[in-house]
Amino acid sequence: MKHVRALLLAAAGLLIPVSLATAQESEITIGRSVSTTAMDPGFLREAATIVDNVFDTLVMRDENMQLVSGLAESWKPIDDTTWEFKLKKGVKFHNGEDFDAEAVKFTIDRIIDPAANSPTLSYIRTVSGVEVVDPETVRITTDGPDPLLPTRMSRYPTYIVPPDYVKSVGNDEFARKPVGTGPYEFVEFIPDQHVILKANPDYWRGAPSIGKVTFRAIPDGTARVTALLTGEADFIESVPVDLAPMVEQSPDADLVLVKNGGLTVYLGLVMKEAPLDDLKVRQALDAAIDRKGIVDNILRGMATPKGTQVGPADFGYLEIPPTPYDPAKAKKLLAEAGYPDGFSIKMESTHRYMKDSEVAQAIAQQFGDIGIQVDQEVLDWSVYTQEVPRPGPIYMLGWGSTQTLDADAAVYAIMRSGEPYSTVDVPELDALLDESRKIVDPAAREKVLQEIQKVAAEKVPLLTLYQEDALYGKARDVVFAGRPDARIPVYDIRLTR
Amino acid sequence: MKALSFIAGRALQGLIVMIGVSLIVFFALFLTGDPAAVMMPPEASRAEIEAFRHAMGYDDPILVQYLRFAGGVLSGDFGRSLRFQRPAVDLLFERLPATALLAITALLWSSLLGFVLGTVAAVRQNGAVDFVIRVISLLGQAIPVFWLALLLIIVFSLNLRWLPSGGIGTAQQLILPSLALGAYYFSAITRLVRASLIEVLGENYIRTARAKGISNFRIVVHHALRNALIPVLTVQGMYFASLLGGALITEIIFAWPGIGRLAVDSIQTKDFPVVQAVVLFAAFTFVVTNFLVDVAYVFLNPRIRL
Repeated sequence: MKHVRALLLAAAGLLIPVSLATAQESEITIGRSVSTTAMDPGFLREAATIVDNVFDTLVMRDENMQLVSGLAESWKPIDDTTWEFKLKKGVKFHNGEDFDAEAVKFTIDRIIDPAANSPTLSYIRTVSGVEVVDPETVRITTDGPDPLLPTRMSRYPTYIVPPDYVKSVGNDEFARKPVGTGPYEFVEFIPDQHVILKANPDYWRGAPSIGKVTFRAIPDGTARVTALLTGEADFIESVPVDLAPMVEQSPDADLVLVKNGGLTVYLGLVMKEAPLDDLKVRQALDAAIDRKGIVDNILRGMATPKGTQVGPADFGYLEIPPTPYDPAKAKKLLAEAGYPDGFSIKMESTHRYMKDSEVAQAIAQQFGDIGIQVDQEVLDWSVYTQEVPRPGPIYMLGWGSTQTLDADAAVYAIMRSGEPYSTVDVPELDALLDESRKIVDPAAREKVLQEIQKVAAEKVPLLTLYQEDALYGKARDVVFAGRPDARIPVYDIRLTR
Repeated sequence: MKALSFIAGRALQGLIVMIGVSLIVFFALFLTGDPAAVMMPPEASRAEIEAFRHAMGYDDPILVQYLRFAGGVLSGDFGRSLRFQRPAVDLLFERLPATALLAITALLWSSLLGFVLGTVAAVRQNGAVDFVIRVISLLGQAIPVFWLALLLIIVFSLNLRWLPSGGIGTAQQLILPSLALGAYYFSAITRLVRASLIEVLGENYIRTARAKGISNFRIVVHHALRNALIPVLTVQGMYFASLLGGALITEIIFAWPGIGRLAVDSIQTKDFPVVQAVVLFAAFTFVVTNFLVDVAYVFLNPRIRL
């Protein structure tokens, strides 16, 4: 008996250090192209990559982008303007504070408070109030029917924050030392250097397999790829298209290519101005662009030519083939519109998207082939956002729907007349867009969303070019396939060391 | 008395420069556009943008905004960063040590090496050694820093794997960025020391010293260098001041958390208060250094006394 006990103790003594050692060893360094400035999910002015790992939402998206239970056990509409969420019990924030209905109310109230000037208010603009029914039940009311409400509860700004902690330290301090319920706890933040997180052993979905995460800011593309190839980083975001082959050919790293994981790039047209007010002119421009040639030759195939602004992963997607390249037809259309000799027009682009200047230059040449003289201007992003979308009259922009994976985000803001980023003016589209926001029934809504894309393809209010792929680089021993919603959930990453 | 009025005059000039810079910094930023439209996300409605503009005071008359800005600056308040939601001055001073470390290291190696090579080249004027040094220093000044920085990363990090590609914390991480940053100054100082020394070596008093039979080494070190160094020190003061304002490109490529990177990020996101703080700080360092150099001249070189 004594021997058995001694043996057991010895075995336990052997096992414990071993398991501790593996937990300590499993760390990952992620190289990001941008620096983190603040980590308060309610007031974010940047990509949510880091807060995605620290906080949880009521509703989550699984790897197939389906909405699944998060901090809410279940949810259902009670009437046209009210959704009820049943919350999980026993979940705690990293500081020990309890997660409950009050936390949900506090989280949303602080964003929709007009005095707070939250930069992300627009994501939950429809929410008019939150009512605590009991500690495990909340009701969220909207100012009209909002079919997207559960989706809005699936990403920032609705990451649930701990009320007592936020109140005691204040918003500014909270943004520097965030506390959530998520798989990773905040450890250290040094601006322009790194953010360090450690695994939350009590995470309600089970302890994470990777013990420590370091997010490093490496703004330069070459330096970022070098960091990956030399092992200084295990995973990097935004691999520049030109350097993708270097990652692919490396024995130590792999390129992770998420098809349709990026923005859909288009040429906006200031539709009210001649000659772009003429449908035939717009159709001519559309047919003059060799999308396949651009994608194959300039973007090295790392994008997909498209005929709709909506992404294939979005709810409401309608597959519309890209407009075929047909310069002869384009010339004919131009002649029919009364411009047999073409015209000259200004086109603006910026440095923001994959090889955007080269793409703009190629398009300018293709427009030139049908007799349209393009006066090309490339502006810095900070200046560009002042200009676009107004002056143009042709301008390049990328738009996406990763926030909601719903067609609404992909089309409304750029096609509804009067919206800040829209230069479209098609009454038929306006009517459909407005209607789409009033329907709660998914099937009926999907129909309207698809109708919008059909009308857009007919009226050509803008020239959809292609959807970029998202390019990541990872070390050989990192297992992660990338996600269409651009998140990097470290919880789902595995290391095979 | 004359020296005092000279110093007072220089101080006044510095003050005028600072006021001018503050005016330019303030108005130039507003000329480029509307900060509210940039700071808010693309999906924001017009009403939300208006509310933000009002909350930040961007809808006040521009003169009111300037006076508020200038008043704040005098009391050390540059406003709050729109991005970080923190005082702009804190952000600036947080990054100052990193920038200073990089600037001092770059200036140190470039001065030492530039000084030695410049002297050797001057003594061996028109010889083979001089030719090689002149070619190296010409290249150093001609190669753009962004290209040199990437080249250093590709050679020493990617291919040889000797040094890390970026970041801060260890001595190894300091080597590549300070090499890239110092290359230009090294070349400039080499050329300056060489030219200045050659000029001094042709002076009459050097010829006199030679006639007295003093050794060549002693002439160069004791007689020539001392005089040749005055212009070099002035230039170094200026370089150091400009380096403290942040090395934009070097800091970005090597992920160095300094003032230059802060400046570029802030310009791109139209973070007005931070841009203003950085530019004013850079101008202030310049003016103060300039002033100190002028004052030092008064004491070091009697000929400058007016």
